Amino acid sequence: METKKKGKKLWIAIVPICLLLMAGIITVVFRSGVEAEAKNSPIVNAPKGTGSSAALSGAIVPDTTQTINDHKLVAENENYQLYLYESTLSIIVRDKNSGAIMESTVHNDKGLEGTNATWSGFLQSGVVVELQEDTNKLQKKLDLVNSGAKITVNLVKGGFQAKIDYPNYQFGFDMEVLLYDDGSFTASIPEYSIYENSEKQKIGNIYIFPLLGHTYLGEREGYMLIPDGNGALIYLNDKEGRFSAGYSQKVFGSDIGIDESYILSLFWGKYETHNDAEKVLAPIFGMVHTDSELGYLAVIEKGAEEATIWATPNGAYTNYNWTTASFRKSATYVQPTSNSGGSVTKVTDRISYDIQVRYFMVHGKNATYTGLANRYRDYLLEQNELQKSDNSFNIRLDFLGADVENWLLFKKDVTMTTTENIEEIYESLQKQGVVDIISLYKGWQDGGIWDLPVTSFDAGGSIGGNRKLKNLIKSSKEKGIRLYLYQDVMRANPDTSNTTFNTVKKMDKRLYSENTHRDVFEEFVYWTPSKTTSVVNKLVKSFLKNDINQIAFSGISNNLYTYTINDTMRTRQSTRESYEKLISSISEQTDLLLEEPLSCYWKYTDVLIDMPMGDSDYIFTDQSVPFLSMVLKGIIPMYGNYVNFEANKDQYFLKLIETGIFPSFYLTYEDPAKLIYTNSCNIYSSEYRVYRDTIVKYYNELKKADDLIKDSYMIEHEKLDNGLTVVTYNNGVRFYINYSKKDIVMNGITVPAMSYKVGEAE
Amino acid sequence: MKKRSRILLLALLICAMSLPMIAEAGTPYKTYTVDGYGYVTETQTAYSPLTAITKVGETSFVRPVDMSLSKEGILYIADAGAKLILICDLEGKEVGRIGEGILSEPTGVYVSANNTVYVADRAAKRVFVFDSLGNLKAEYGKPNSPIYGDNMDFKPLKVVANESGTMYIICEGNMNGIVQISPVEGGSFLGYFGTNFTRLNPFQVLQRMILSDAQRAQLLATIPSTPTNLAIDKEGLIYTVTQGDGESSLKKLNIAGNNLIIPDAYDELCAAVTTGNYENIFVASSDGYVYEYNEEGELLFVFGGRDDGRQRIGLCNKVEAIEVDAQDRIYLLDSDKKQIHVFEPTEFTDLLHEALYLYSKGRYTESKAPLEQVLQMNSLFDYANKAMGRAYLQEENYTSALKYSKLSKDFIGYSDAFWEVRNVWLRNNIVPAFIMIVLLVVLIKVLKNLQKKKGIFDPVFRVFSKVKERILVKQLKYSSYFMKHPVDGCYGVRREQKASFLCANLLLLAFIVLSILNKYYCGFLMKTVREGRYDLLSDIGVVLLVFLALTACNYLVVTINDGEGSFKQLYCAYAYCLTPYIIIKPFVIIISNMLTQNEVFVLQFANLFIEVWIVILLFLSIKEVNNYSVKETVKVILLTAFTILIAALLVFIIYVLMSQAIEFVVTVIREAVYRIGN
Repeated sequence: METKKKGKKLWIAIVPICLLLMAGIITVVFRSGVEAEAKNSPIVNAPKGTGSSAALSGAIVPDTTQTINDHKLVAENENYQLYLYESTLSIIVRDKNSGAIMESTVHNDKGLEGTNATWSGFLQSGVVVELQEDTNKLQKKLDLVNSGAKITVNLVKGGFQAKIDYPNYQFGFDMEVLLYDDGSFTASIPEYSIYENSEKQKIGNIYIFPLLGHTYLGEREGYMLIPDGNGALIYLNDKEGRFSAGYSQKVFGSDIGIDESYILSLFWGKYETHNDAEKVLAPIFGMVHTDSELGYLAVIEKGAEEATIWATPNGAYTNYNWTTASFRKSATYVQPTSNSGGSVTKVTDRISYDIQVRYFMVHGKNATYTGLANRYRDYLLEQNELQKSDNSFNIRLDFLGADVENWLLFKKDVTMTTTENIEEIYESLQKQGVVDIISLYKGWQDGGIWDLPVTSFDAGGSIGGNRKLKNLIKSSKEKGIRLYLYQDVMRANPDTSNTTFNTVKKMDKRLYSENTHRDVFEEFVYWTPSKTTSVVNKLVKSFLKNDINQIAFSGISNNLYTYTINDTMRTRQSTRESYEKLISSISEQTDLLLEEPLSCYWKYTDVLIDMPMGDSDYIFTDQSVPFLSMVLKGIIPMYGNYVNFEANKDQYFLKLIETGIFPSFYLTYEDPAKLIYTNSCNIYSSEYRVYRDTIVKYYNELKKADDLIKDSYMIEHEKLDNGLTVVTYNNGVRFYINYSKKDIVMNGITVPAMSYKVGEAE
Repeated sequence: MKKRSRILLLALLICAMSLPMIAEAGTPYKTYTVDGYGYVTETQTAYSPLTAITKVGETSFVRPVDMSLSKEGILYIADAGAKLILICDLEGKEVGRIGEGILSEPTGVYVSANNTVYVADRAAKRVFVFDSLGNLKAEYGKPNSPIYGDNMDFKPLKVVANESGTMYIICEGNMNGIVQISPVEGGSFLGYFGTNFTRLNPFQVLQRMILSDAQRAQLLATIPSTPTNLAIDKEGLIYTVTQGDGESSLKKLNIAGNNLIIPDAYDELCAAVTTGNYENIFVASSDGYVYEYNEEGELLFVFGGRDDGRQRIGLCNKVEAIEVDAQDRIYLLDSDKKQIHVFEPTEFTDLLHEALYLYSKGRYTESKAPLEQVLQMNSLFDYANKAMGRAYLQEENYTSALKYSKLSKDFIGYSDAFWEVRNVWLRNNIVPAFIMIVLLVVLIKVLKNLQKKKGIFDPVFRVFSKVKERILVKQLKYSSYFMKHPVDGCYGVRREQKASFLCANLLLLAFIVLSILNKYYCGFLMKTVREGRYDLLSDIGVVLLVFLALTACNYLVVTINDGEGSFKQLYCAYAYCLTPYIIIKPFVIIISNMLTQNEVFVLQFANLFIEVWIVILLFLSIKEVNNYSVKETVKVILLTAFTILIAALLVFIIYVLMSQAIEFVVTVIREAVYRIGN
């Protein structure tokens, strides 16, 4: 009671000061706005919320005080202060320059009205645990307000340690929050501190600071950044209750080992109709308040494999916009006991790993998604998670060698591109000036592209055999073309190899098999990581013996799963560790490419292939931004998905310019109509003769554009009100891209419809 | 021709991932098209999701169930929950509202070319007509014409009207067809239109034959289904969709009510239909799939799908209405999500539409340019191949026409082009061919003379006669005698050892080889299987199984019916019965490669001839080998058929029992694994 009264008194003091300061800020902002306009520089097109100055006033605490909203100051550095309210483990981060704050819990009665107890508790807690009670599939949310949790806080240098015990459920853990000099702070829960004393009650998921930086309805301006595809934003405007759920995706893709049941819709009982959503390649999320110019980028440093990223717009569950990560500590799965549907639900053992999230605060002009991208790039470089590699422009031309179709009792080769065809294609392109080429040769192995695993260098006879393939690789090298042999090293084909042992079994100890919905090979299984390691080592040995050192791997580069060996659970983390060890050792011996790799493998490859260009088009996202492009451009060259299968070719071309991603083509020498009865029947357009002119055109135009950039970083990206997208590089080159069907004039530059112009940054 | 089997949407709770091979960023759904055989292939995205209209001005939808798009691009949305018609532009800005206080449950809305608004109101049992300003002009209740039916209720669900104001109304529970009401004299009933028909399956027919009248009365009456939705195009043609009506799911009806099209693919749950700007037809299924057809009902695209919690734009829950605007954008009304999904055509689709437009205007040569671009993007695109073939045919470039019509399995186009190509060939080759024949005749004459005079071929003839002496060859030769003299032939088989298993097997082998050749190497027009598609194992299996089962069952029946034939004799006799096929079929296969559709009857006749001959031979063989009378023979044949039925049943029972046993073992093992695992 006492504290509340004090709080009230404080408010009386603060409000007039706030108002005065507000007036000041508004004048400053207004002036700078006018100046900016006078300079004719493009103004950041921040999403317009219904934000009012009244709402903003609460977000800015102008004077350094010892307490804000009952939160006590516990740590500070040059730019930021960290405040803590112990009983709900709520923190406030304050920007010392502007006074802007971000809060991690809701303590605003207005917003809690009409919210049910579960969500109301969720909104008011710094940490939320989902209780795994016996084998109950529905996990109950335990917050710090209603669950009877006991919190003991111990202040340490730079932050605090909190011991959180749940006496009613007999478990608990420690959380440590530390503020660093570089403007970041971490929150971590070490595995050793976790205890669970009850058989029936376990920790299901843990949410850390679920409401950090939350905003109410459309009161504030800004956006949440989600790692969907290349990157996407959810604006903090009022969604008017249109969405019933928000973004919720497992980092590094879904887990095949623990059933995440979803509904498969098959069209005409046979054809898959949905395209999968983009995977989360990097374990990040962010929140930016553009009105108070404060934001953060959260990077999951430990435990990313088990994390799920949430970004929920207002109207879904509550009236707040919030983004966070939750960490899975145990899960339920269904153990079938008969073929006719009998089953029991079981709970996994605790998944052991440390949790650590690092929040990079950004403020002032950096409080934009470009600011977050720049911060993330610096972080990756500091941590050696990325190394600068050769960024020169290449066009990626992949070839499909051969696939097979059913024929009598056997399989018949369907040869699409032989080694001689490739030589011919290279020569014809070089004659037309296309010289910088990087190629992946798929389906080069005996038995065609789906004859997996590939255990030795054994080229298909129909594409020319070992000798001709070696000659091709040699002659390509002489021409300066990088030709990589591609294979999936995770999948195994039960029809072409013995897959009785060493294949991945799910938590329910059943063999995992992946349905292709195709005719020739109906399913694939996964090798266990240890088997993959032995297969790959054997394969690489065979490659090196044949003087081949340019190889490309898929499968292991972007799949993580929980599995069982002899009834013991192996976690996604252990899968990642095995794969990482393998990838790192292979990348030392060879020139290794990885297909659409997860961020943890970025340092092992010097080219990123199949980078997503856009997002998954979720109903709640408002803008797609090339976030990963901004992070990676100029550091590591990126190649996009195949141009062939794009319906909007012109738009796609502009997207390549915008994202700085290099183009990719999937080519065959023969007509792809031949593939219709193979498992590659989804390749319906790939004939080289058809694409020759397009390749030359793309090459010339994109090379010209890239020559201006070389290996500069993308430092700014904006979508302006007038429809132009502006991308600025740190060498001063600026691209104006017009996706609309009308010409747009800006700064005296006319950008024609569906086209782009190069300019210079002021 | 191309026929799609039933459409089935399987919703399976499974945990499976597709191969992440080609991910098309953005669109949450795949787009499919069909090739010439109706084989579904993936293609570039035809329409990409653009946006969704969730509100009209500040008003949210309550229960939107229908919409109509005016010529000027104004949307009229029937909200049965809010009891009014909301009017908005294509951005969702409110323009007005109609019928507040008048409408009770507007379930259908149609806006005509002169902006007259027709509203079907189920609860009010009336069709209301408003002028362009929203004033009530007229209302029509249940027609009092006796033809309408006194007991028939009038609950209008959907309505369209033609230029003269004649309304076509779908009524709930009215199976007689679409109610046609003319505005003259305050609404006169013109009759029923576009009635659906019922079809009985063979089982129902049998049931009806066996059951008594009383029993029959208890059966569920098979009543024709009421159309689900309808649309009208500029020419006044009516389009209807009916759920679960097979090929009649989509109908294009002329003024007389006759159906003009048979769609080559259809959905079981079609919910709405509309026409586009190129006489193309769009059908939306309630699951969110959108089908685009050309004017002849040939499928161009199908895309979309259900939103099973994926939360991605462009996926629907329950589609009720579809409209297409002047920019070819598609609007889908989703009553469950209470929003209108908007899709825009991609560059790929724009190209196709351009071609459609040019082609429909008869500008074939011009249509080739966009078609070529479409084919460059997807060479399997059936419609483009077909149109390309037809365009070349118009240009009298027959070899190219032949190529494209073969790709698209356009039999008529192929036949026409082939006729011309053959003509040219004949013209060019008739003289040399004639000369060749003459030379050949002369050569033979000369050789015969030489043989007579000098006997230069004597060694060859000696070898020939030696071969002829061999028993097997004799037996084989006997088959041609058997074919012509079955009664005598059977005697030879029974009494004179004129046949052997080896010989019978050889004949059977020849039969199998020929049937396979016939299947895969007959002319394109006669082909029933896909080009380049082989399934020899089942081809061989089927022939062998049928032959052996027939012979074995027949033998079993014959032995207990005083038949005199041994198994060997029966087996050999039946094998000999196949001889006409073996002798005549090769010629049929060769000729089939040279004929157009006009001459196909020649082949049909030849095939019939072979079949009849074989049947006669079989009948006589059974009779003669067993020394039966005609009556006995018929009896044995019927008994054989029965035996086969029983045998099939037996096999089936054994199969079921076995699979149960296997299931049991598997379950026990699984249970054990689970127990040990704990």
